[in-house]
Amino acid sequence: MEQPLELESDDDLTDSEESVYSGLEDSGSDSTNSSAAEEEEEEEDEGEQEEPSNGAAPKVKGAPRKSKALGADPPLKDSEGLSVPDEYEEDIRNTVGNIPMEWYQDFPHIGYDLEGKRIYKPIRNKDELDKFLEKMENPDYWRTVQDKMTGADIKLTDEQVDLVHRLQKGQFGDVHFNPYEPAIDFFTHEVMIHPVTNRPADKRSFIPSLIEKEKVSKLVHAIKMGWIKPRKPKEDTPTYYDLWAHEDPNSILGRHKMHVPAPKMKLPGHEESYNPPPEYLLSEEEKLAWEQQEPAERRLNFVPQQYRCLRAVPGYPRFIHERFERCLDLYLCPRQRKMRVNVDPEDLIPKLPKPRDLQPFPTTQALVYRGHSSLVRCLSVSPSGQWLASGSDDGTVRFWEVCTARCMKTLPVGGVVKSIAWNPNPTICLVAVCVEQSVLLVNPCLGDKLLYGATDQVLESYVPPEEERVQPVQWVTATSEEHSRGIRLTVQHSKALKQVTWHGKGDYFATVVADNSNMQVLIHQTSKRWSQNPFRKSKGLVQCVLFHPIRPYFFVATQRYVRVYNLLKQELTKKLMANCKWVSSMAIHPAGDNVICGSYDSKLAWFDLDLSTRPYQLLRHHRKALRSVAFHKHYPLFASGSDDGTVIVCHGMVYNDLLQNPLLVPVKVLKGHTLTMDLGVLDVVFHPTQPWVFSSGADGTVRLYT
Amino acid sequence: MAQLTARFRTENPRYAVEDVPFSVPAASETADLSHLINKLLAARGADHKYVEFDFLIQGQFLRVPLVTHMEMENISTEEVVEIEYVEKYMAPQPEECIFHDDWISSVQATEEWILTGCYDQTARIWSLEGKSIMTIAGHTEVVKDVAWVKQDSLSCLLISASMDQTILLWEWNVEKNKVKALHCCRGHAGSVDSVAVDCTRTKFCSGSWDKMLKIWSAVPTDEEDEMEEAANRPRKKQKTEQLGLTRTPLATLSGHTEAISSVLWSDAEEICSASWDHTIKLWDAETGGLKSTLTGNKVFNSVSYSPLCRRLASGSTDRHIRLWDPRSKDGSLVLLSLTSHTGWVTSVKWSPTHEHQLISGSLDNIVKLWDTRSCKAPLYDLAAHEDKVLCVDWTEAGLLLSGGADNKLYCYRYPATASDVGA
Repeated sequence: MEQPLELESDDDLTDSEESVYSGLEDSGSDSTNSSAAEEEEEEEDEGEQEEPSNGAAPKVKGAPRKSKALGADPPLKDSEGLSVPDEYEEDIRNTVGNIPMEWYQDFPHIGYDLEGKRIYKPIRNKDELDKFLEKMENPDYWRTVQDKMTGADIKLTDEQVDLVHRLQKGQFGDVHFNPYEPAIDFFTHEVMIHPVTNRPADKRSFIPSLIEKEKVSKLVHAIKMGWIKPRKPKEDTPTYYDLWAHEDPNSILGRHKMHVPAPKMKLPGHEESYNPPPEYLLSEEEKLAWEQQEPAERRLNFVPQQYRCLRAVPGYPRFIHERFERCLDLYLCPRQRKMRVNVDPEDLIPKLPKPRDLQPFPTTQALVYRGHSSLVRCLSVSPSGQWLASGSDDGTVRFWEVCTARCMKTLPVGGVVKSIAWNPNPTICLVAVCVEQSVLLVNPCLGDKLLYGATDQVLESYVPPEEERVQPVQWVTATSEEHSRGIRLTVQHSKALKQVTWHGKGDYFATVVADNSNMQVLIHQTSKRWSQNPFRKSKGLVQCVLFHPIRPYFFVATQRYVRVYNLLKQELTKKLMANCKWVSSMAIHPAGDNVICGSYDSKLAWFDLDLSTRPYQLLRHHRKALRSVAFHKHYPLFASGSDDGTVIVCHGMVYNDLLQNPLLVPVKVLKGHTLTMDLGVLDVVFHPTQPWVFSSGADGTVRLYT
Repeated sequence: MAQLTARFRTENPRYAVEDVPFSVPAASETADLSHLINKLLAARGADHKYVEFDFLIQGQFLRVPLVTHMEMENISTEEVVEIEYVEKYMAPQPEECIFHDDWISSVQATEEWILTGCYDQTARIWSLEGKSIMTIAGHTEVVKDVAWVKQDSLSCLLISASMDQTILLWEWNVEKNKVKALHCCRGHAGSVDSVAVDCTRTKFCSGSWDKMLKIWSAVPTDEEDEMEEAANRPRKKQKTEQLGLTRTPLATLSGHTEAISSVLWSDAEEICSASWDHTIKLWDAETGGLKSTLTGNKVFNSVSYSPLCRRLASGSTDRHIRLWDPRSKDGSLVLLSLTSHTGWVTSVKWSPTHEHQLISGSLDNIVKLWDTRSCKAPLYDLAAHEDKVLCVDWTEAGLLLSGGADNKLYCYRYPATASDVGA
């Protein structure tokens, strides 16, 4: 497609009007008009050969002016259309017809005239310089166009130039044509008094319609018959329905369910203020340092600045940047729902009943049993609960009346009393006392006369066996002097003793020797005066031993372990790991399934034998080494005495049903003993019937807490 | 509030004042009110002697400023408050301090003599002036309780209970000053901790560590009740048997599960026993049946009954003295707790003449005189003992006695009021 005014504009770049045209042509052109344009071109640009490559240049130039040219587009086409018949009449010199003139480019002629003779192109030997000179010199150059059909230069007349100008302006070609003549409406909006037609109205427009009457009567009949119901009143209330009524709550999009809100931006602080406090303003060095830092390393990503007033604050230059960074942050940083466990720390503490609800337990010191002159190492209460026996380093055993703290008897034994044990059998009145290398069986002659008389009789009724058996110890009957003091039998060991404990039936007792041989533990039978060594091999330094209250088990505590032996089968049943460095004492629950161990590293381990061989609970309430632990026979209480001078009483409830673990609650710290030689409480023992606890201390007193 | 309107009232016609409301300062204390009453009385009669008064509002002693007391007791200060006044109880005056050789386990006094049981295995009779009259030796163990059975001008009957499981019934010839063991009551299998003689003076009961309560006849007979002589008895027992004829119990009441610490006759046919098993049991002495049980939660050390106010007072192994109504059928009913001691209350005794007053001894070495109308604080603290107080007694003549582990028996003369002194 060619541009009609291209050729003319080709050289004359300075002319602004031409540029307007070229742009116009470029945009508004369709196929129907193109032929007309061609013709015009043929007619006008005969002399100059058009170069197809030229088309590109004006386009670029004209781009900004497009809008201006657009408006002028349709009138131009009109003018072209009008001019076509004239050209036909005029342009009869060349008979080649409406063909592209490029076809004749390589020929010397340009077509044929009416006579069939060739029309030769005018001789064009002008070079660029000539063209330029002509352009400069010829005053009519601007209105000279080349006739394409003939190749001759035509100087446009003034009328033609005017026409071109008009067309360029979008005006009609004809000067006299008025495009804005008033229009005459055929159908006017004004109401006329006369009809358009004068036909009289039909008769039928006066007569009621029979068909309608029929139809109406039918309807009336139907209504009467009830076939047609009168129209229901329209319901005004709009009907709504719940769009999400039947929606499965589980089918909610995960995106909604797992909505993670964007992290909140930091709120502006004092630094962001337009007038921050002076300490927020950066000093020169700080500013310098800030500038030298990497942007990512800066603590603040801006420099706090001070302005006189809010009005003086300029627009924030980083605003877009900051928003952009925020968006980057939000979409580049994966968000994840944090499953924070919202637990009240209070809930993690096990719910323990209040000590108030666990009464009775000993709370206050009631009585002090004074009399010993040195530390009281051991205590024992008679099965009736009327008497208390205490053994001391001053070489005496004292017997006390429990309820008045009256010392009823004092028995000098001539040595440190390491351990004392009242026979648990209520029908026997006998106390075993560990003094140095021997165990004294003492009849305290307290309580029922019949009872202690019978005890003496039982001891006297011993008949020695015919054949002498080799025993690890020596049983010696007391001399008459000793007898008058209450001593009945002496069991002499080869080494110093540290503990004596009775079996529940009151016939057997066990002693622990303070050495590391296999003869550490011996079991003695009182009625037969017979001793035996149950262990062939030493398994470590034995600290204490205990008989099971019901079953034929024997507990042996070494430094770290408690071994449970079955005495009937003569085998090791269990080995309890105490989790402590050095076991000092041990006590067994009266039901026999729970054992507590006190240790010198101030721990108390509670073992549930049904549960595990490790401690069910490890109590660390004492500040110093534990010396003694004890269970109450009836009440769910246990106590521990320690070198820090306190006795701690704990509630230790053991449930019958196997599913419920024992409940251990410390209930009371009992103080009273004064520390002597860094030793506090040496022994604790419970009263057999009352919730009272006795403690013996290094200060030479025994105290009763109730 | 500066003033209160009060109306004063008294039971004693000697000190009666006009029954009109007075305006008294709200902050006035007992001394101020006493002063006021004295002024009124002096205005009425010229020969009035100054008397200290004590004041009661709705049966409670005034111990703090008037308005504070009324706030504590929730008494309206808008209305006329009725204040009863009584003559102030005088402080007990120390009279005697009788030294013993050993701890004093029990004491019982009459108008003329004091009988004490001692840990040196004897019972002793003292005159009221503190003169030792008689030492009764015969027990082989600590004497735990003593009681007078009968008093004549010529001879007296008394019993002593001991840890040697026997109770000895003695006849003391006052003129010749000789004692003779009439009967040896054996049957207990434990230390006999408490004895009590009934009001007809023909029976006594005993409570023992062996959980049994036994009733014995207190009438001396010449013939031996029982000739049960076992040959295999130990020597010691045979020795005590020579002290008197053996006597066996009339009845044995068993029901306690722990040792019985204290017994008394609350009626002609009713025995009350307090035990270590945390109960007080009331027994019908005639049938031997259990009438009712009052359950506490501590071991009972001592119990006392006042026929004047028909209440039991108990001392137990805590700091409180509890008052019980023995006729209540719904188990335990503690009417009041008197709390001021700091140790076990070993012994309590009601006043034989005054329905509101009682005396208590405790392991904190203090004897306290209480009025049940002032349960917050005792009337008087008698802090003379240097060791545990083990027994107290109160005679009808107004003698307070307390013995303890410091081997001393203190006697106090307690005139209920100042006017009694004059009378």
